[in-house]
Amino acid sequence: MAKEIFMPKLSSTMEVGTMIQWFKNEGDSVEVGDPLFEIMTDKINIEVESYEEGILLKKYFEEDDEVPINHVVGYIGEAGERVPDDPPGESGAAAEEEDLSDSRQPEVSDLKEQGISETSVPNETSGAGENSPLEEKPRATPAARRVAREENIVLAEVPGSGPNGRIQQGDVMAFASSHTAPKATPLAKKVAEAEGVELQGIKGTGSQGKIYRSDVEGAKQPAPILASAGGKRVKMEGIRKVVAQRMHQSKTTAPHVTLTTEVDMTEAIGMRKQLLGSIEQQTGFRLSYTEIILKASASALKLHPNINVSLEGNEIVFHEEINLGLAVAVDNGLMVPVVKNVDQKGLSELTAECKRLGKAARDSKLKPDEMSGGTFTISNLGMYAIDAFTPVINQPESAILGVGRINEKPVGVNGAIELRPMMVLSLSFDHRVIDGAPAAAFLTELKEVLEHPYKLLV
Amino acid sequence: MRELTYLEAVREALSQEMRQNDDVFILGEDIGVYGGAFGVTRGMIEEFGPERIRNTPISEAAISGTAVGAALTGMRPILELQFSDFITIAMDNMVNQAAKIRYMYGGKGKVPMVLRTPAGSGTGAAAQHSQSLEAWMAHVPGLKVVQPSTAYDAKGLLKAAIDDDNPVIFYEHKLCYKTKSEVPEEQYSIPLGKADIKREGTDVTIVATAIMVHKALEAAAELEKEGISVEIIDPRTLVPLDTETIIQSVKKTSRLIVVHEAVKRGGFGGEIASTIAESEAFDYLDAPIKRLGGKAVPIPYNPELEKAAVPQVGDIVSAAKEILNRQ
Repeated sequence: MAKEIFMPKLSSTMEVGTMIQWFKNEGDSVEVGDPLFEIMTDKINIEVESYEEGILLKKYFEEDDEVPINHVVGYIGEAGERVPDDPPGESGAAAEEEDLSDSRQPEVSDLKEQGISETSVPNETSGAGENSPLEEKPRATPAARRVAREENIVLAEVPGSGPNGRIQQGDVMAFASSHTAPKATPLAKKVAEAEGVELQGIKGTGSQGKIYRSDVEGAKQPAPILASAGGKRVKMEGIRKVVAQRMHQSKTTAPHVTLTTEVDMTEAIGMRKQLLGSIEQQTGFRLSYTEIILKASASALKLHPNINVSLEGNEIVFHEEINLGLAVAVDNGLMVPVVKNVDQKGLSELTAECKRLGKAARDSKLKPDEMSGGTFTISNLGMYAIDAFTPVINQPESAILGVGRINEKPVGVNGAIELRPMMVLSLSFDHRVIDGAPAAAFLTELKEVLEHPYKLLV
Repeated sequence: MRELTYLEAVREALSQEMRQNDDVFILGEDIGVYGGAFGVTRGMIEEFGPERIRNTPISEAAISGTAVGAALTGMRPILELQFSDFITIAMDNMVNQAAKIRYMYGGKGKVPMVLRTPAGSGTGAAAQHSQSLEAWMAHVPGLKVVQPSTAYDAKGLLKAAIDDDNPVIFYEHKLCYKTKSEVPEEQYSIPLGKADIKREGTDVTIVATAIMVHKALEAAAELEKEGISVEIIDPRTLVPLDTETIIQSVKKTSRLIVVHEAVKRGGFGGEIASTIAESEAFDYLDAPIKRLGGKAVPIPYNPELEKAAVPQVGDIVSAAKEILNRQ
C-alpha cells in the first residue's frame, strides 16, 4: 500500500513549511534516506529524506507552496498504485503528535485508541483507500463528484443535504461559492489590486453581496504617510515572518526590564591577547570577545541559576544545562544557534564551535537541534558603533544580554581620570519570572568576571 | 390548424399511404365493414375495396404469416391486431420470421410490413386485453418498435413505418385514441429514431412513452405550481432509440425519471436508465435514476384496481418530489 509523505514538524514553533524544491519527480524510484524535497521552516532550510523505498507516486505541492505540518505532501508506493488526486486533509490525530516518527503513519487502530472514531477521519488519510471501509467514503452523486473535481474541492469537507447526507451538486456549488473568490465588479477588482486590498474581507453592497469600487475604497486602510507606490514590496515570509511574529509575541507577553552596566575590559583584552595565538594555532580561528563574554556569562549563570530559567505555563523551569544562544544576523533575518553546555567548555572549544555555528547560520545550514534548547541568549553588536541597546528576550528564555562596543572612555580610577576600554552590557529580563535585584546581582557578577577574567579559571 | 384525434390521424395516414402506393394494403379481423375493433379503418373499405382492406379469419398466426409472405413478394402489408396481447399468437411469425429474414438472406429478401395494434390498460378490458408488451418486441433484433403518444406523431410515424423496408411494430395506446392535436392535412413523416421534447424544463427529466406522456404533462403542470421545472422527453420509437436527446436532457437537469405503463420489472425503462448510466450523462446525475412502471400483476378488471396497477399522475408528482428531496 502506498505510504504517505508528511510535512515534518522540525521545531516546537513550526506550523507550516514552505516547499523549496523537490529532488525527485513523480515516477522516480526512491531509496530510504534519499533526499526527497527541501523545505523552508520558520528557522531553517532543510532537506527531507525518505523513510520509505518505492516509487514517488504523487507530489501534491509545488515550489513556494506553504504546507501545514503533518499534511500529506505526496505518496511513495509501487508503480501503478492508486493514490488520491488531491492531497488528503490534515489528519486530526497526527497533528496533535509532537514526535515526528509517531506522526508519520497514523494507523486507524491508533486513532481508535485515542477515542477518535473512524468516521471522523477523512477517508483519504487512511491511505490509498482500497482497505478503507465503504462508509468512510463521502456519499456523493456523480454530479457532485464531477463539480468537486472541476472546482478542486475535497468532497469530504462538503456537508451533504441529500438523503442520508448524500452530497449533491448544489451542496458542492454552495461550498465552492463560499470558499472561492468573492463576487466583485471588474473595476472593484482592479482598484483592490492596485491598492493591495484583499477582496475576501470586504462586505459588498451590490446584489448578492457583489463588491463595488466604493466598497473597496471604504475598506482601504488609511493611506501610509509615505506614499510608497513605487517602492519595492517583498512578502514577509520564512525567517522574516517568524522573527516578526516572535519579537512581537515576546514584547507583548513578557514585561521587559533592561539593566545596564559598564565593564572595564582592560583585563579581558589582555587575556585575549595572551590566548589569541595559541587558540588560533589549535583551532584555526581567532578568539573573539564573544567567546569570552559567552564563557563569563556561563560562569555567572552558574552562580545565579535563577536567571537561567524559563516560564512554562504556570511553572518556572530552572534549567540544569547552560546553553547559550548566540544571535547571528543573516540575510533577511536573525538566527540564534545554541552553544550547549558552555560552562563545561574551554575557550578554544567555544571559539571553534561559535565560528562553525555562525557560518552554518549564515549559510542556512543549521540543524534543528543546533537551534533548540537555549536557556539564555547573547546579542553582540560590539562590531558596530553601538554603545548600548535594549535586546528583546528570545522566548521561552527569560533573559538576554546585549553587548555594545568596547570604547575608550575617561573613567575615574582612584581619584584620577584615566582612559579605559569600556563596554556596556544590557540585560533585558522577563519581570514575570525574574525580579530586579537578582537580575542586578547577576549582571554585577558578570561585570566582576569580565573585569577579573582569571576568575574563569576558578 | 385543424385538430384530429389520434384515431383519425392514424386513419388519415393509412388512407394517404394507400392512395399513394398500390402495394399498401391492410389485413385484420373485422377491419372491413365493421371498421376494426376501435374503428380505425371505418369507412376505408368503401374507398379501397375488400381487396385492399382484407378481413381475415380469427388467427393472428395466419394474419402475420400472410403479411410476412406478402411483404417478401414486394407488397407493403399493414396488419391490425385487435389487441396487442394477441401478438403472442403471432410471435413465431414476428420473431422467428419477420425479424430475421432480411439478415438470414443477406439483404436479398426484405419484409416491409407494419403490425398495428392497440395496447395498454384503462378501458376495463382486463388481463388479456390490456397489456403493454413493447419490451418483448424491443428485445428482438430486427424489429422496430414505435409508440406514438399524440395524433401528430401517430400520423407522421405511421407514414415512416409504412415506408420502412423492415418489420415495424406500431403500438397505439387505447387511451390515446381520443386525444386530439393539430395535424396537418398534407403528407409528412417523422423519422423513426427521433425523440421529441414534449416540454422543456430544468429540474428533472421525465422520459415517458405513450399515454404516460400525457400523465407526465399533467404532473409537470402540477409540479410547476411548486416551482419544479420538468422536462418531458417522448422517445416515440423504442427501436431505434434516440439516446442523444435523452443524454443531453439529463446533462441539463441532472435527474431522470422513466415512466412507462408496462410492468416495471424487465421493462424498457431499465434500458433507458442503463443507457444513461453508461453514458457521459452519468457524471451529471445528481440523484439515483427512478423508474416508474406497472405493478407485477395481470391488469385487473376492477377499474380502481386497474388504475392502481399502473403509474398515475400522482405517482409521477411524488417521484419528482422525491428525486428532488422536496417531499
